[in-house]
Amino acid sequence: MKQGMGRSDEELVEACLAGEESAFDVLVGRWEKRIRGAIYRLVGSDDEARDLCQEAFLKAYKNLGTFKQEARFSSWLYQIALNLCRDRMRRRRGRTMVSLDELEEGGTTVPEPGPSALDRVHERDLSRLVAGAIASLPEEQREVIILKEYQDLTFLEIAQALDVPISTVKTRLYRGLDQLRVRLERQGLRGAAPLPAPTP
Amino acid sequence: MQCDQLRDDRLDVLYGEGDAAARRRVEEHLAACESCREEMAGLRSLRQDLRTWRLPVTRAAFRAPRRGGRWLPLAAGFLLAVGAGLLLAGTELRYEQGVFALRLGPTDAPLREALREHEARALAREEAHRRELAALRASLPEAPRGEGDLLARVAEMLKESEARQGARLETTLARYDQQQSAQRRYDMARIAAGLSYLDGKNGQHVARTTELMGYVLQASAPEN
Repeated sequence: MKQGMGRSDEELVEACLAGEESAFDVLVGRWEKRIRGAIYRLVGSDDEARDLCQEAFLKAYKNLGTFKQEARFSSWLYQIALNLCRDRMRRRRGRTMVSLDELEEGGTTVPEPGPSALDRVHERDLSRLVAGAIASLPEEQREVIILKEYQDLTFLEIAQALDVPISTVKTRLYRGLDQLRVRLERQGLRGAAPLPAPTP
Repeated sequence: MQCDQLRDDRLDVLYGEGDAAARRRVEEHLAACESCREEMAGLRSLRQDLRTWRLPVTRAAFRAPRRGGRWLPLAAGFLLAVGAGLLLAGTELRYEQGVFALRLGPTDAPLREALREHEARALAREEAHRRELAALRASLPEAPRGEGDLLARVAEMLKESEARQGARLETTLARYDQQQSAQRRYDMARIAAGLSYLDGKNGQHVARTTELMGYVLQASAPEN
């Protein structure tokens, strides 16, 4: 059997559709961690992120036949995950999106080697503030910032995942960054100079 | 005005997606525009702050459902095939003096041989009776009415004899069937024990597979 690691996502999709079911396992192994990370940052709960991640992959598997090779598989997968997150957020609107207690728990975040205890405390506080500031953004800005800052997707990939033009992605990102800067400045964090007003 | 026009270029450069031309345009603009220079510095600083938000350490969320689900049926199929092979090979189980004894290989050959002999004898007797009856009929073609009772009695004796032979045959077959059933039960018990062992070894995996199957069913269900 051909090894999956050397094949592109799209080749693996074709192989899976042709009956090679193990090809989907390779796709899961390749994307699960990143998809779950994105979902976690969007919904703020690890348990929900696990559930939604499973749901996203099962939905992708079920609908693999509808995947069009015009877009990248990863963009399609992110699109499924984002839609699931939106549904979940709509259902629980009004509840806190990010559990700050969770962020404050020691040892729940990946420790960075090197920094002193004071630095770690400061970083944890900063992390909590950042998470709270991002959670308070409008949904469309939050999605773009998470996909760009934490998933390292290109503008084109984000545009495909959200099914909007690249210019819209950039506008949402710009506005989102501006709001973040304002919110973090209000909380006493180092801040940037105000951004020029975006073009309507 | 130029600040707004170059906004997308600045974002491209900020995220490393700008081509050489875009980078040159932005550099030239930043050299001349203090506001945009401060903005770029502020955005870079903001991005550093954003990087402090890290993910919690968690265990893997998803395992593709088919790997374990394929292995377990294969193992079960293998055990079933072995069990069926043992059955076909005539494996014999005996319980003697508190100990189960399993013997591989054909064990019902003597039984089958005895059965064949019994059947042959019964058929031979039946045939002999028929011939005897036929001879009697031939020798008494015009038997007086009084001798009809004798013929009827002979015929009845023949029927009784056939019934006895049939009963013996049924008894032998029933015994044979009991032995086969015992063998079958034993083989099924061994298969069940094998599957339980596999279940124990892969309990978590099986539970996970079951859980995933639940998700599959949920995802497959028509949406309201």
